[in-house]
Amino acid sequence: MKLAGLMTTSALALTMMTPQAFAEVTFGALFPFSGQLALLGEESARGLEIAVDEMNAAGGVQGEQIVLERGDAVDNNQAIGEARRLISLSGVKAIFGSYSSARSIAASQVAELAGIPFFELGAVADEVTSRDFKYLFRTNPTADHMGKLIVEMIVEKVAPGLGKAPGDLKIGIIHEDSSYGTSVAGHQERYGKEAGLNIVTTMPYPAATVDMSSMVLDLQSRGVDVVLQTSYQNDSVLFLQQASEAGYKPSAIIGGGGGYSMLPTAEAVGNDVIEGVLDADFTQYAVNTDFTPGLESFVETYRTKYGMEPRSGHSLNNYVGALAILKAIDAAEGLKPDQIVAAVSAIDIPQGQTAAGYGVQFGEGNQNQRASMMGMQWQDGTLVTVYPPEAAAAEMRFAQ
Amino acid sequence: MNIFLQLVANGLMLGGLFAIISIGLTLIFGIVKVVNFAHGEFLMAGMYLTWIITVGLGLHPYVTVLAVAPFLFVLGAMTQRFLIQPLLLARDDHVQIFATVGLSTALINLALLIFGADIANTPASGLRAPVQIGPVRILEGQVYIFIAAVLLVIGLQLFLSRTQTGRAIRAVAQNRAAAQLMGINVDRIYVLSFGIGAACVGLAASLVAPLYPVSSTIGTYFVLTAFVVVVLGGLGSIVGAFVGAMIIGLIDSMAGFYIGSDLREAVVFGVFLVILILKPSGLFGTRVSLSHIS
Repeated sequence: MKLAGLMTTSALALTMMTPQAFAEVTFGALFPFSGQLALLGEESARGLEIAVDEMNAAGGVQGEQIVLERGDAVDNNQAIGEARRLISLSGVKAIFGSYSSARSIAASQVAELAGIPFFELGAVADEVTSRDFKYLFRTNPTADHMGKLIVEMIVEKVAPGLGKAPGDLKIGIIHEDSSYGTSVAGHQERYGKEAGLNIVTTMPYPAATVDMSSMVLDLQSRGVDVVLQTSYQNDSVLFLQQASEAGYKPSAIIGGGGGYSMLPTAEAVGNDVIEGVLDADFTQYAVNTDFTPGLESFVETYRTKYGMEPRSGHSLNNYVGALAILKAIDAAEGLKPDQIVAAVSAIDIPQGQTAAGYGVQFGEGNQNQRASMMGMQWQDGTLVTVYPPEAAAAEMRFAQ
Repeated sequence: MNIFLQLVANGLMLGGLFAIISIGLTLIFGIVKVVNFAHGEFLMAGMYLTWIITVGLGLHPYVTVLAVAPFLFVLGAMTQRFLIQPLLLARDDHVQIFATVGLSTALINLALLIFGADIANTPASGLRAPVQIGPVRILEGQVYIFIAAVLLVIGLQLFLSRTQTGRAIRAVAQNRAAAQLMGINVDRIYVLSFGIGAACVGLAASLVAPLYPVSSTIGTYFVLTAFVVVVLGGLGSIVGAFVGAMIIGLIDSMAGFYIGSDLREAVVFGVFLVILILKPSGLFGTRVSLSHIS
């Protein structure tokens, strides 16, 4: 009796504590806010926060103000636990996340089972949208887009710039051997073959390597003209340094995200070594803003809200994805999962009309099929967008 | 032919790097009989200190060894005194191993907290300049690391064989109980030895920092190879660690080119296993008793 009484009281207390729908709707923000991935997890979440602020200032969604409830996905297990908490305790109508592919894959399973929409704004692994989930949508470009963009860039820009036919260039692919590097390299090979590129070698290596000199010698002795590397930070630095020290100067080096986009990498290897190095990644800030309407006001809002410059392109890409989704939810018939899914499935934003440049329309596996990456180049110590031409802030340079 | 010579040179330089990192590990193991899983994190701490001093005071990275080696000595000595020593009485020796695993994780996360996840760059001060020797090209800094490793091996051998303290250390390593009966303060020798082993890592840190950017996980990059080197050379053998490092460096370099970058670890560990099967105590090892009771 006592126990039953206690339970009734607590249940009553819980009901009273739950915020009534006084024109407020709660969404989950599931990112790694602590631990090793915290820096870019937090940076990603800021994009979502700015999108929410913008929606709230314009009246919220369906007349209700948006409240974000944070969940800290510090590791895969906690991502699952936090997703459960957000859904069952906080009663969120949808979850936004999550920067890390592994966290996303784990947490979205919980949401799918509970029938709560999960919007992925930043994780790149193919597996996120290859599971045919009903309630999962991804707005950002993926490993596939990275491979595709790099091949397109070689065919349309790099080869002509070097005065050669694309098929005459010897391409060497090196990549760290976890699922990230392996899947990007797989897409590079596939798209490369379709485009008739001559890929002479593909070399995986463990990311925690301390010496790449034999790999450099191998590339050098094969006469590789264009090196494609998919890597984290340490191995990006190691390859660029050891190639330069061995006197190996390929006509072009094209990195994939990760280490290649970060300023500390440039500082580590020195401006003279990184000058001219190309890189495929999410949209960054040195871009032709005619193609990315809203980018400048995003940066301005970011500065006002956080008192600093955006630390990477993650916030921008999360902002763009979140804004597209929230606008669709605003136009939905209600806040039930199926109503949200119906509204989001109908999104149709063409290229060049978001702050990241890419459009939004969901296709197979609920992946944004209009998402794309951009090609960047290190020029005079900064990373500027050079591809595609409509987004380029500068011309691609070639070492003579 | 030129490529082969370059691969040999790369292998030897890599061996020098592995050697300078492994010597402290084998020393601690041979004497204190503790497998120090926090060894890589000692290296990481030393590299961060090198970075701080170099950037903060604008000194040459090699000068920082004057501060880094003593700092690591104290860190090592304190680890022995306050972490390992109380556990020496534990019934099971594995307790100490897990204590060092705990220390390793704690240090990684502490570094993450203090320095963040980004890499920190010690200025190269010209040490990354390539030197052309005949047909091969190596880095100035690599040459110094190699020379330092050779000198460290010779120095430690002289210290252990010619000085009173050195002889006491060897006595403790051979038979703890007998050494204690001869009037040697075993606890003090352990603290000292752990400190010296850690100080060797300090030397390594100052030499390695200009060539590799430091991050909280940098230790994990080196530590597995260091263990392989130490076991290959014979646990506790300083000369063995040096020779083991050269073998691993050369195999790594050759396999990376002739067999493929993805298989080089398979080759390194394959050779390692074969040598162990043929000579279970390592190349220069004698049968050591792992017990602290001996």
